[in-house]
Amino acid sequence: MSRLEELKTRIKEALPGLECVIGWQKGYDPLHNTPLFMRTDADVDKLEWGPLNVHNPAVYLPTFTGKKVGVVVKGCDSRSVVELLQENLINRDNVVIFGMPCTGVIDLSKVKARLAGAGVSAGTVTAVTDDGKTVSVTAGGQTTAMPLAEVRADKCGRCQFPNAVLADAYVGDPIAPAAPAAAADADLAALDAMSVPERMAFWRYHMERCIRCYACRNACPMCVCRDHCIAQSREPHWLTQDDTATEKLMFQVVHALHLAGRCTECGECQRACPMDIPVLALKKHLNRTIRDLFDYQAGVDPQAIPPLLQFKLEEDNIKERSW
Amino acid sequence: MRIGVFICHCGSNIEGTVDTATVAKASLDFPEVVYATDTMYACSEPGQDGIIQAIKDKNLTGVVVASCTPRMHEPTFRRAVERAGLNRYMFEMANIREHVSWIGKDREANTNKSVDLVRIAIEKLRRDAPLSPSKFSINKRVMVIGGGVAGIQAALDCADGGLQVVLVERESSIGGKMAKLDKTFPTVDCSSCILGPKMVDVAQHENITLHAYSEVDAIGGYVGNFQVQVKKKATYVDWTLCTGCGACMEKCPSKKNPDRFNEKIGPCTSINIPFPQAIPKKAVIDPTTCRQFVKGKCGVCAKVCPTGAIKYDMADEIVTEDVGAIVAATGYDLFDISKVTEYGGGRYPDVITGLQYERLLSASGPTGGHIKRPSDGKEPKNVVFIQCVGSRDKSLDRPYCSGFCCMYTAKQAILTKDHIPDSQSYVFYMDIRSPGKMYDEFTRRAMEEYGARYIRGRVAMVYPKDGKMIVRGADTLAGTQVEVEADLVVLAAGAEAAVGAPKLAEKLRISYDKYGFFMESHPKLKPVETNTAGVYLAGSCQGPKDIPQSVGQGSAAAAKVLALFSKDMLESDPQISRVDIKRCVGCGKCIITCPFKAIKEVEFRGQKKAEVIETVCQGCGLCTSTCPQGAIQLSHFTDNQILAEVNALCQS
Ligand SMILES: Cc1cc2nc3c(=O)[nH]c(=O)nc-3n(C[C@H](O)[C@H](O)[C@H](O)COP(=O)(O)OP(=O)(O)OC[C@H]3O[C@@H](n4cnc5c(N)ncnc54)[C@H](O)[C@@H]3O)c2cc1C
Ligand code: SF4
Ligand code: SF4
Ligand code: SF4
Ligand code: SF4
Repeated sequence: MSRLEELKTRIKEALPGLECVIGWQKGYDPLHNTPLFMRTDADVDKLEWGPLNVHNPAVYLPTFTGKKVGVVVKGCDSRSVVELLQENLINRDNVVIFGMPCTGVIDLSKVKARLAGAGVSAGTVTAVTDDGKTVSVTAGGQTTAMPLAEVRADKCGRCQFPNAVLADAYVGDPIAPAAPAAAADADLAALDAMSVPERMAFWRYHMERCIRCYACRNACPMCVCRDHCIAQSREPHWLTQDDTATEKLMFQVVHALHLAGRCTECGECQRACPMDIPVLALKKHLNRTIRDLFDYQAGVDPQAIPPLLQFKLEEDNIKERSW
Repeated sequence: MRIGVFICHCGSNIEGTVDTATVAKASLDFPEVVYATDTMYACSEPGQDGIIQAIKDKNLTGVVVASCTPRMHEPTFRRAVERAGLNRYMFEMANIREHVSWIGKDREANTNKSVDLVRIAIEKLRRDAPLSPSKFSINKRVMVIGGGVAGIQAALDCADGGLQVVLVERESSIGGKMAKLDKTFPTVDCSSCILGPKMVDVAQHENITLHAYSEVDAIGGYVGNFQVQVKKKATYVDWTLCTGCGACMEKCPSKKNPDRFNEKIGPCTSINIPFPQAIPKKAVIDPTTCRQFVKGKCGVCAKVCPTGAIKYDMADEIVTEDVGAIVAATGYDLFDISKVTEYGGGRYPDVITGLQYERLLSASGPTGGHIKRPSDGKEPKNVVFIQCVGSRDKSLDRPYCSGFCCMYTAKQAILTKDHIPDSQSYVFYMDIRSPGKMYDEFTRRAMEEYGARYIRGRVAMVYPKDGKMIVRGADTLAGTQVEVEADLVVLAAGAEAAVGAPKLAEKLRISYDKYGFFMESHPKLKPVETNTAGVYLAGSCQGPKDIPQSVGQGSAAAAKVLALFSKDMLESDPQISRVDIKRCVGCGKCIITCPFKAIKEVEFRGQKKAEVIETVCQGCGLCTSTCPQGAIQLSHFTDNQILAEVNALCQS
């Protein structure tokens, strides 16, 4: 039995006790997988596993409050689940976690760029296969082989958690992280190298392009305010609806601040952005600060209290008093 | 809303650099302002009457006063608008004195800034809502922490006033530093003769419960209803049985331990009663030196104790005391003289602190009141006193004056002559600070009648030579170097905050300064109050103080407690957080962040929600910045009010 089949069996076993199990299925064309909500055995048969499973299914968990659901996770997705648990936003008794080792997912933008380079349109894809190392995309009758290492999402290149950090059913043997522990962060390094005016210009350029669709927010598993998001709320009235770079940057900065020490860097915000705006960099920057100050990473330990969600008289690494 | 704006001159304090008439005129252009004027002293009686009259005449529904800091007069003006029939929270203050007139001289810039601050206050006021306090009952018991002379006085005055008092003392006896002193300036009367009776009064007062050898572990609650957990440290002696006979001390074989009561210049037994007049007079075993604990065998004290009070298996015990007010009187400790390496304190036995010298002078001290120097027990002839060791010294981060050292050094010089008539005292000083009744006369007596040689100047170094301590320094008045061959050197070690004072302050939720001394609410007008309602200060925990000042503060703190308890109900501050349960997702983040444990989890239609406990919330606002939903808002300081203030500022 293949690992995927074994996983399906495990899900089918658990399904009777669950509202549904969230995973991925084939999408509208061979290049896209989409989320799958399994309620019957027939649904489970549609489950897919592989580099096209780009979505983070944890985002749906808080919407099932009070109901018991299952979720299939990649390593990064599992950290979102853990963070949700840490923040009491979901209940451990009401979630069953299924996991398999993950070798990385593709970055669609990179794949599209490759196809464009080969002179074919991404809209004409007829088949996608992968062997764990190479993704082969057939489009316009022509097959382009792309090493996964070159077209995978940036986060996969730095991934430290290829296995679920928390799982009730884990299929397959855990694998070692592909990257060294302190993998270089190219986007942050590029921003660090800019002068302040350059950085301001960089964000102004991107914010002018933002269409304020809030896909970044909606895709984020940790954005749980939903109807009370400061983006729309009048009480408190943090943002106006002015279509200006200032208001849009304000939103991004507030979003990033709310995610400081909570964001697991799943990258969904940036992946969801139709304008390819590098919004993840803002969160990564704050996470770096949190890591330096509190030696803390979000979504790793279900028991840990996130540093900004607690009150301590004396912080270990912040010296307010010198005696 | 109909807003009235009053711009105060504060005499010339504000008017001197702010054109208040222009500020008033500009205010008329702001939204909903129907009346604006400048006024000479807004807080004076005619000033307040003017506000009240305007509220009535112009039908005002909200008032802004631009004047001084709200710390000072916000309560004043709130009462004034209330007298005129408005809710007291329909009032805002703009601080154009501390924030404007006192910090800048440019009249035009100051006037513009004042206009901005008024505009901000108006925008906040427009979003104010009437708030009303709720009433709650109070527990008329008071806790005094620290049983030095200040704490003793506070406890006795409260108890005499009919209150139940719980006195918590860290050591095994009350008395504090005063119990260690021989005689006291400026009258040179015996310290234990005047303190002893007070200590006995504490022991015998029916309204006082004494927890000695105890410390405050945790404090919950709020003014009127504190719950204090007191840790009664294990004494290994059952105090209900111990009669203080001292048989155990006579027989204890472990006799060579540094005696803390005698400032470690004499030995004591492992089981010990610190001094004959101790209150309570009960023995305590030090498990770090006791052979039963260290070696696992001995048990002598258990054998000799006639009442069978020894309990080697005793453990710390926590008792909870419910009180309505707390007086902190934890005193001071001494600067560590070994930090001034040039003077050799801690290295040479004959360089000692003033407090150690008090023990040498005291008849109940280790030498029976005969001055014998620690190294060889010889009577010293030349005694050098060095003042300001660890005081008024920026390089040691001790820039403050310890207040009582000039006086006690003079006292000790006098007493030295009394004890050893053929002795000579030398006092190295920076300045003589003796501004009390009979104080300057006292220091003069030390010089003139008792022949103490006062040398103005700093000592550079102290070193041993042929059984003497050579003290080398400068005489800045004579402009020469001096060298004195001393038999004994007494350092007037400065006062420091009591060990652990900052930790206690955190538990009490009161502020403390950089040095660990507790902060009073106002340095002049509220010297014994703190910024936490129901917590008061007495004695040198607030800053170095001599005995008369400490006693005065003890009585003052008691008066404050008695005044607080003269009411049966207190009003709670309505400027607290409230949860909008529609928005709350019950994540409990606010519950874990609230430093005052003021938020609890409740069930609402089967869902978890947060709820603020009205009387516990201090209005700090931490929860409001934590709640991702914006579900918890601080009344009178809502996000929208703050945003409106920021917007008002950024528009201008
Ligand atoms: C050498 C020397 C000589 C002096 N001579 C004179 C003099 O002649 N005349 C004069 O007016 N002044 C004199 N003083 C000053 C005098 O000592 C103080 O004014 C006085 O002791 C202050 O009393 P207090 O109660 O504020 O503090 P303290 O005497 O320090 O008492 C504080 C008490 O609180 C207790 N405590 C501390 N922390 C805690 C805690 N966390 N929990 C529970 N209990 C705690 C301590 O054990 C102590 O019993 C002298 C000082 C020195 C150093
Ligand atoms: S902010 Fe972006 S990267 Fe972080 S948890 Fe949300 S979606 Fe994932
Ligand atoms: S997804 Fe992209 S375009 Fe949409 S709001 Fe977020 S940053 Fe702007
Ligand atoms: S933090 Fe906000 S949402 Fe969470 S429990 Fe508190 S009030 Fe409710
Ligand atoms: S404002 Fe919030 S955090 Fe502060 S004391 Fe009140 S409930 Fe606690």
